[in-house]
Amino acid sequence: MTRPHAYAVLLCALMLASSLMLAQQNAPNTQGIAPPPGSPTPSPARMTFFVTSVGLGKGGDLGGLAGADAHCQTLAAAVGAGGHTWHAYLSTQARPGKPAVNARDRIGTGPWFNWSFAQLGQPQNAIISADLGELHGDTLVQAQRGSNLFKQSARNEHGEVIHGIGDTPPIQHEILTGSKWDGRAYDDKADHTCNNWTSSTTGSAQVGHTDRIGNGSSWNSSNATKGCSQAALESTGGAGLFYCFAVN
Amino acid sequence: MTKIKSSALILCGTVVLASGLLFAQVQRPGEYPRGVKPSPMMSFFVTSEPIGDGGNLGGLAGADAHCQTLATAAGAGNRTWHAYLSTQARPGQPAVNARDRIGTGPWYNFKGEMIAQDVAHLHGDTMELAHQGNNLNKLTGLTEKGQIVPGLYDYSDPRDTDWDYVKNTRFSTRHEMLTGTQTDGTAFTDAQDHTCDNWTSDKSPAPGTSNGNLNAADGRPNAQIGFPDRNGGGSGSWNSAHGTRGCAQTDLPKTHGIGLFYCFAVN
Repeated sequence: MTRPHAYAVLLCALMLASSLMLAQQNAPNTQGIAPPPGSPTPSPARMTFFVTSVGLGKGGDLGGLAGADAHCQTLAAAVGAGGHTWHAYLSTQARPGKPAVNARDRIGTGPWFNWSFAQLGQPQNAIISADLGELHGDTLVQAQRGSNLFKQSARNEHGEVIHGIGDTPPIQHEILTGSKWDGRAYDDKADHTCNNWTSSTTGSAQVGHTDRIGNGSSWNSSNATKGCSQAALESTGGAGLFYCFAVN
Repeated sequence: MTKIKSSALILCGTVVLASGLLFAQVQRPGEYPRGVKPSPMMSFFVTSEPIGDGGNLGGLAGADAHCQTLATAAGAGNRTWHAYLSTQARPGQPAVNARDRIGTGPWYNFKGEMIAQDVAHLHGDTMELAHQGNNLNKLTGLTEKGQIVPGLYDYSDPRDTDWDYVKNTRFSTRHEMLTGTQTDGTAFTDAQDHTCDNWTSDKSPAPGTSNGNLNAADGRPNAQIGFPDRNGGGSGSWNSAHGTRGCAQTDLPKTHGIGLFYCFAVN
């Protein structure tokens, strides 16, 4: 190996290293924060809200509400929060002989606390909402303020922030809800729930944004997906994730 | 040998260039965008720097002048700029509502992105508008220099509540905007201080009287704030989330503010 060659390799390595270092510096801190020294012993059992860390992998087909609830329960149990009864925040639309189900009627009465509260015992960012009215903005002032569900508080069951607009891909901030702003089911003929969470092909589902960025800023009702396949969900910054709330 | 060497160099150059380009897209909060000028449509910004005397902005006039100065430095001084601030009623002096000071919109940010169509859209005057929200968020709430305002956990540093530290950096949490308003953009009507005495006070609470709830209390210097990133304790409100620990410049960083505020062009 000639000496100029060696210099070139060294230079190349240096440039790459510095570029990678810069990249690290530029990346916003979106991961869970480490508990400060002297924090209380982590107690995931105190968590009563999370975003699923993974979907079911079949787009909008969640196996109906029962399948989605079971997914919440499984993920919660895996991190030691299985003592609660968990429900998915999802609505279903009315069918002949079957009334609609409103997501807001499935999640108990609150207050709901996220992973930060369970892990750190810190109130900051921890309370998602005190009650259903605050969560959904039932009064004008509540609606203008917005709920306390925002990017840093809407964490998954491992305490990780969901990647949103501006973060490193894959962006997964489109959360399945099938709901209107007020947390209730749609009453028109169009599909807003991937056929009540059984379709992984045709149809569409209403989603909200954990980071409240894009098409308005609603956490539970921002826009409709392009389809119900996993690929369709991923094409617009989703992954088939949904919100889980403990009802007790 | 030379052939291998040159192809290795080309590969190396490509990898470095590609990774450089890939990561250059990410603009760190607080960082200036490289070589980008404000859109000629810019009619909204977050002040890139505070006046520096806490809640004493020199009244509405002083705050408006600060907006105008920063806008002029950014090349947008051809418009008339007003600070988004309310003042509370005093004997012989009616209240001033922030929403009545900012023209009719629509307002656009540094990049020419629309923040809100009109006053009703900005504030969510109806249930439908309120639920929809305006277009102000972390990526659109830019300063007149095009910076994203650093928010919670962008830079986790325990010193970020200490003015002596944060005054020397652009990279610390500073997402609390002084507004002194209620969610609908109007002034508070109670007797407590929500405006640092109509933006003339830099006082700290008397020892032992500071409450930890960030709510206004009788006789306590306080200002209502909101979050451009819709991301903070109390609620994600852009204009009315909670109060401050006092009105001194050193009080504001205790809850991650430094005395920045919103500026809107009225024309």
